[in-house]
Amino acid sequence: MKQLIIVALLAALAAAIPSLLGENPYIIGLLISVLMMAALSSAWNIIGGFAGQYSFGHAAYFGAGAYTTMILISSWNVNPLAGMVAGIAIAAVIALITGSIVFGLRGHYFALASIAVAEIIRLSVLNFEFTGGAQGILLANVTLWGLDLNSKDPFYYGMLLLLVVTLAVTIWLRKSKTGYYLQAIREDQDAASSLGINLARYKNRSLLLSAALTSVAGSLYSVYIRFIDTSAVLDLRLSIEIILTAIIGGVGTLWGPVLGAILLVPLAEMLRSNVIGDSLVKLGIVSETSALGVFLSENLAHAHVLVYGIITVLCILYMPKGILGLFRRIK
Amino acid sequence: MIEPLLKISHVNKHFGGNIAVSDVSFAVEEQQIFGLIGPNGAGKTTLFNCITGFYPVTSGDVIFDNRKINNLRPDAVCRLGMARTWQRVKPLSSLSVLENVMIGAFSITRSLTEAREKAQEQLTQVGLSDYATQLAGSLSIGLKKKLELARVLATKPKMLLLDEICGGLNHTETDTLLQIIRDVRKQGTTIVFIEHDMKAVTSICDHIVVLNSGVKLAEGTPAEITRNQEVIAAYLGGGYHA
Repeated sequence: MKQLIIVALLAALAAAIPSLLGENPYIIGLLISVLMMAALSSAWNIIGGFAGQYSFGHAAYFGAGAYTTMILISSWNVNPLAGMVAGIAIAAVIALITGSIVFGLRGHYFALASIAVAEIIRLSVLNFEFTGGAQGILLANVTLWGLDLNSKDPFYYGMLLLLVVTLAVTIWLRKSKTGYYLQAIREDQDAASSLGINLARYKNRSLLLSAALTSVAGSLYSVYIRFIDTSAVLDLRLSIEIILTAIIGGVGTLWGPVLGAILLVPLAEMLRSNVIGDSLVKLGIVSETSALGVFLSENLAHAHVLVYGIITVLCILYMPKGILGLFRRIK
Repeated sequence: MIEPLLKISHVNKHFGGNIAVSDVSFAVEEQQIFGLIGPNGAGKTTLFNCITGFYPVTSGDVIFDNRKINNLRPDAVCRLGMARTWQRVKPLSSLSVLENVMIGAFSITRSLTEAREKAQEQLTQVGLSDYATQLAGSLSIGLKKKLELARVLATKPKMLLLDEICGGLNHTETDTLLQIIRDVRKQGTTIVFIEHDMKAVTSICDHIVVLNSGVKLAEGTPAEITRNQEVIAAYLGGGYHA
């Protein structure tokens, strides 16, 4: 209950930000990315953190939401919210098929299968005609109940709502039979099974929940950007970023994935827009014409995945329970 | 005539060409404390795994509470009322002692409050209530064994299969545990007991089956078993005196 109140208070604060910022699309855009990664990473946490089943293919569910929504809107002019619901259904079907095949097996089969399924889906979408193939899908404009969705604010609130729902689900899980069963599965599958826990059923449940929430993020993202292709919504890189955000923030905790997103998304953006390289030059630490200066301005922008990787290695070595684990015992 | 609670008939378990359990039959009556003994590698744990659904039997039948349970999964077996502990304890390490036992209790209730109450009762029964908030992984081996017991008891089993629950414990710890097991039986639970400690076995069991190399060597009361020449030769050693 206490946690739920904290989430509600923080959400109320976050909801006030757009009106405080005024007209600042760059910052709103960045905040939408932070909220989206926080929601994605929290959703992944339900299967990865609670049940301990590491999915390396969550881009598949994100892409399922994004592609289903965009295809329905562009071909049949369906209401975007109906597109979102259809996206959830498609993501659920993918989750159920994956789960029913691999959750009967022990070991790392799920991690491997999740990559395989995501890649099969990515390659299929790339080669099908109705998905736009390599060109992707572009929408000129999207309306919802006559409202033009060209402004960024609705998506800010949409992502915020999704994050709040995901956190609420996490809080509920921590205080429910299902949540305890998932943690038992993470800790020891034989013990869990001998205590009456149907392993496959509970793993499937948590994957389904995680996939549904992930697909909603995909739907929101696609309508927000109004352009999708496989490299934007189905890439393995996205799956990896979701996991790294959770690991760096703190796997299995409520706030870890949120903290990870708050730290990593702006960091990635700073690298991408070369803020770090530029400020090193401006501060006079590196000369713009020196070999290092030229190298940084050319390459640092592409290095955000490398930086993620380095941070992850440092995290695993020095704080295996993530940033949050440094402050308190994982609960 | 009352049917036995558990009936094992002609159970075989082969791993490839390796015969781990060969044509073993016995019956466990309700409210018995039933001992399963034998040297290392005799097939005791394998037989436990076959009974509780962790291994499929190669042939033969396992009948529990008038139901054939050969092909059930372990969780289904547990929900029918047969619970087991592990020779190598399996605590849910990053959860608290109380939460470990609550997970057992969730097999009979959905409610969090009820599960917590039942878990607390169970911790009191085994004498672990002082450790309720500690992480299960931080307990000593003796306390981990007690936790295993509390956790399976929380599932309210009709039958309890204990795999070397006294292994690695000192005399005082063993005595406390044996007393708890006697109490559990008094409350109506049937107990099957794998054990190496002959003193523990003979003091607590009503009936004993001896396995050797996967074959049933002997069966009888503790007094009969300790007098049995074959058992003495195979397991107890020449100098054993009951």
